Amino acid sequence: MRTATAIAAAVRSGDISAASVAARTLDALRADRHVAVTRVLAERAMAEASAVDARIARGEDAGPLAGVPYAVKDLFDVEGLPTTAGSAARTKGPAAAADAEAVRRLQAAGAVLCATVNMDAFAYGFATVNADYGTTRNPHDPARLAGGSSGGSAAVVAAGLVPLALGSDTNGSVRVPASLCGLYGLRPARGDLPVAGTFPFAESFDEIGPFAADLGDLALVWEVLRGGAVQPRAVAPRIARLGGRFRENADTAQLAAIDAIAPDAPLLVLPDVPRARSAAFVITAYEGGHLHREALKADPFGYDPAVRDRLIAGALLPDALYERALAFRADYVARIEALRADYDVLLAPSAPCVAPLIADPTILIDGEPVPARANLGIHTQSITFTGLPVLAVPLKRPGALPLGLQLIGKRGGKGALLRLAHELEERGVTGVTMPAGAYAGEMT
Amino acid sequence: MRITIPKVDPFLLWLVGCVVAASVLPARGAVLTAFDTAADAAIVLLFFLHGAKLSREAVLAGIGHWRLHLMALAFTYILFPALGLAAAALTGRVIDPSLAVGLLFLALLPSTVQSSIAFTAMAGGNVAAAVCSASLSNLLGIVLTPLLVAVFIHSGGNAGMDEWASVQKIGTQLLLPFLAGHLLRPLIGSWIDGHKKLLQPVDRSSVLLVVYSAFSAAVVNGVWQRVGPFDLGVLLLASAVMLAIVIAVNGVAARAAGLKREDAIVLLFCGSKKSLVSGVPMAGALFAPAQVGMVILPLMIFHQLQLFVCAWLAGRWRRELDAAAVADSVPLPPQDEAAMLARAGEIDLPVPEECRPGVQANLALLTQHARIALGEGGA
Repeated sequence: MRTATAIAAAVRSGDISAASVAARTLDALRADRHVAVTRVLAERAMAEASAVDARIARGEDAGPLAGVPYAVKDLFDVEGLPTTAGSAARTKGPAAAADAEAVRRLQAAGAVLCATVNMDAFAYGFATVNADYGTTRNPHDPARLAGGSSGGSAAVVAAGLVPLALGSDTNGSVRVPASLCGLYGLRPARGDLPVAGTFPFAESFDEIGPFAADLGDLALVWEVLRGGAVQPRAVAPRIARLGGRFRENADTAQLAAIDAIAPDAPLLVLPDVPRARSAAFVITAYEGGHLHREALKADPFGYDPAVRDRLIAGALLPDALYERALAFRADYVARIEALRADYDVLLAPSAPCVAPLIADPTILIDGEPVPARANLGIHTQSITFTGLPVLAVPLKRPGALPLGLQLIGKRGGKGALLRLAHELEERGVTGVTMPAGAYAGEMT
Repeated sequence: MRITIPKVDPFLLWLVGCVVAASVLPARGAVLTAFDTAADAAIVLLFFLHGAKLSREAVLAGIGHWRLHLMALAFTYILFPALGLAAAALTGRVIDPSLAVGLLFLALLPSTVQSSIAFTAMAGGNVAAAVCSASLSNLLGIVLTPLLVAVFIHSGGNAGMDEWASVQKIGTQLLLPFLAGHLLRPLIGSWIDGHKKLLQPVDRSSVLLVVYSAFSAAVVNGVWQRVGPFDLGVLLLASAVMLAIVIAVNGVAARAAGLKREDAIVLLFCGSKKSLVSGVPMAGALFAPAQVGMVILPLMIFHQLQLFVCAWLAGRWRRELDAAAVADSVPLPPQDEAAMLARAGEIDLPVPEECRPGVQANLALLTQHARIALGEGGA
C-alpha cells in the first residue's frame, strides 16, 4: 500500500481522488479478515473524502493528510456514534456529540476516517481479546495475537488496510501491538497529543498515539496531531542501553539489535523497575476501577466478565495505597530524570517476545508461563510510569515474526527520537516488513 | 506495642523490704557502725559508677537542642526547688520537720537518667536529646544539688552537720568518686557500658545498703514513733501536687516554646523526674546518719508515684503514635471475602455473587503488586 505521504501527495496533485481512495479503503476494511474492524464508517468517509476533493477542486489547500484514510480505536469519540470502548453494552449508550480532538485535527488536515477498530474492553489488556467483538488476529500470522489494547489499530495498518490508525497507550497499548505487528507506534510525552474526547482508562497514564507502517508517515501524523512539526535533532543523540530487568525477559534478537545499534553505549540500570511496574499496575487498577464504579454498580453484567472482575478489584483498592503509589511515582520520575540526564535516547525491548499464539495466550516471564493479556507490557509499563515519550520501532526481520524496540526520549527531546529512528532505518536495523498477503490496494 | 501500667516497681519492693528489715531488725552499735562504713563505701562506689557511666560525648552530641536542655534544667533546678520550698513550708506545720526537709531535698535532686531515656523511647520521643538532657542534669547535679542543699537546707541549721564536715563529705563521697569515674571513663567506659546488666545489681544493692543503714539509724532514733499513716498520706499528697504542677507547667511551656512532639516528650520526662539512685547516696553524704532515713522517705514515695504517672503518660503518647502510624501505614487490598465486601460497602459498590471469585483472584494479583509497589518485595 502507498504511504500516507504518497497518498496525500497524489490526492493533492489530483492524480487520484480522495473519494476513490476512500471507496477502495472501505471495501478493503469490509473484507477485513483479522477481526480488527468493528464499524466501517462508509457514509462519513465518503462525505469527508468528497469535502477534500471539493477543496482541491476549488484550488484550496486540502491539508497535509489530504485524502489519507485512517481508522481509530473504539475509544475515540466519533460524532453521532456511541463510543463503545470495546464494550458492546455501550452501543446502547448516547452517541458522541462531537469528534475527539485528535479526530478533529486529522479531519482538518484532510484525513478521512474510515473505521473504528477493536481493542481490549476498556483498554484493559495487552492482547485485544474481546468478549464482544472477538480476538484480533495478527496479520503476520492470523493464529497469533495482535497485542493490545490497541490491537485493532495495529492490525489494520499491518494488514495494509489503512496507512495510519490511532490508538491509545496507557501502559503500553500502542507499543506492545506495534511490536507484535511490526509497526512504528508512538507514545507521546504527557500533554503532547490531545486526549480530549477519548474514553479514559487510567487518567494518570492515558495518552493517544498513532500507528504507521512508514516512519515519514508517523512523523507527519505526529506533526498534525500536535499542531507543529517535530524537527529531527541535528546532532547524533547520546544513547544508553537499558540493563537489568530490561535484558532479562527479551528475545535474543532484540538484545542483539540493541547491542548492534549502540555497541559502546553504557548499560543503564534503572532502579526499582519491578516496583515502578507494580505501582503503575496499582494506579491503573485504582483509576480504572473508580472510573467504572457507577457503571459497574448499575450494570455489572453488561461488562466482559474478565474485565469486570479486574475493574471491580481495582475499585476496591484502598485509597491510601493509591496515594502511596502516586507519591512513589513522583519521586521515581525525578530520580529517573536525574539518572538519564546525560542520554538523549534509551534503548529497550517493547513486547518481550514475538506474538503469542491465540490458542495459547501465555508468555514466559522468568521462565514461568504467565497470561499474555496482563504481562506483554512488562517492559512498557515501567517506562509509562516515567511519563517519557517513546517511539516504538520495528526490527527489520523479513520472513520472521515481528519484534520491536522502544526508543525512549527525554521530555522535550522528541527530535532525538526521530533522528535516531531515521538513522536506524537507513542502517537497515529497523523497518516495516509487510506480511505476505497484506492488502496492496489498487493505489500501487 | 502494648504498654500496660506497671505494677509496683520491684526495686521499690526491695526498698520497702529494707525499710521493714531495718524496722524489725535494725543494725545497732558496732554492727551499725560497720553498716555505716559499708554504706559510705557504697556511696563512693555509686558515684564512681555514675561518673563512669555519664557520657560527655552524649551530652556534647545532643547539646544542639540547648533551648530544650535549658528548659529541662529550669524545671529540675528552678521550678522543682520552688515547689519543694513551698511544700516543705506547708507540710512542715503538720508533719515531722525532717520529712518536710525530705520533700525539699527530693525537689533539689537531678533528673533520672535511665528511666527518663526509657520513657522517652517508649513514648516515641527524641531519645538522643533525652540522653543529653538527663546526663547534663546529672552532671550538673553533682555540684548543683549539694549547693542547693547548702543554700536551702543547711543554712537553716537543721541538718545536724557542721559546714566543714559537710563540704568534706561532699568532696570525698560525691565529687571525687564521680570525677574519678568520669575521668577514667576513657579506660573503663566501654566495659561499663557493655556490662550494664552486670552493674545494675551493684548499683541497686549499694542503694539498698544505704537505705538499710539509714533506716537502722532512723529506727533506733524512733522514726516509727514520729511517722504514721497520716504523715505518709501527707507526703503522698504533697508529692502528687508537686508532680501535677510540674507536668501541667511542662505542657504549657512546651506549647509556648513551640516544641515538636518528640522534644516535648523529652522535656516532660527529663523535667519531671527525680533520681532515687542519686538521691539516696547524696542524702547519705549530705545528711547526718540519723536523719537520712527520714529525708529519703519522701523520695521513695515520689519515686514510685513518678514511675506510675510517667508510665501512664508514656503509654498514652505511644498509643497516639501507634494510632498515627496505623493511619499512616498503607493497607493492602482486601485479603478475604469479608474484607472485600466491607470495602465494597464503604465505596457503595455491590459485588455480585458470580463476580466474587474473579474479583478475589484479581485482588490477590493486586496484592502482589501492592507489596512490590510499597517496596516490600521484588528486586
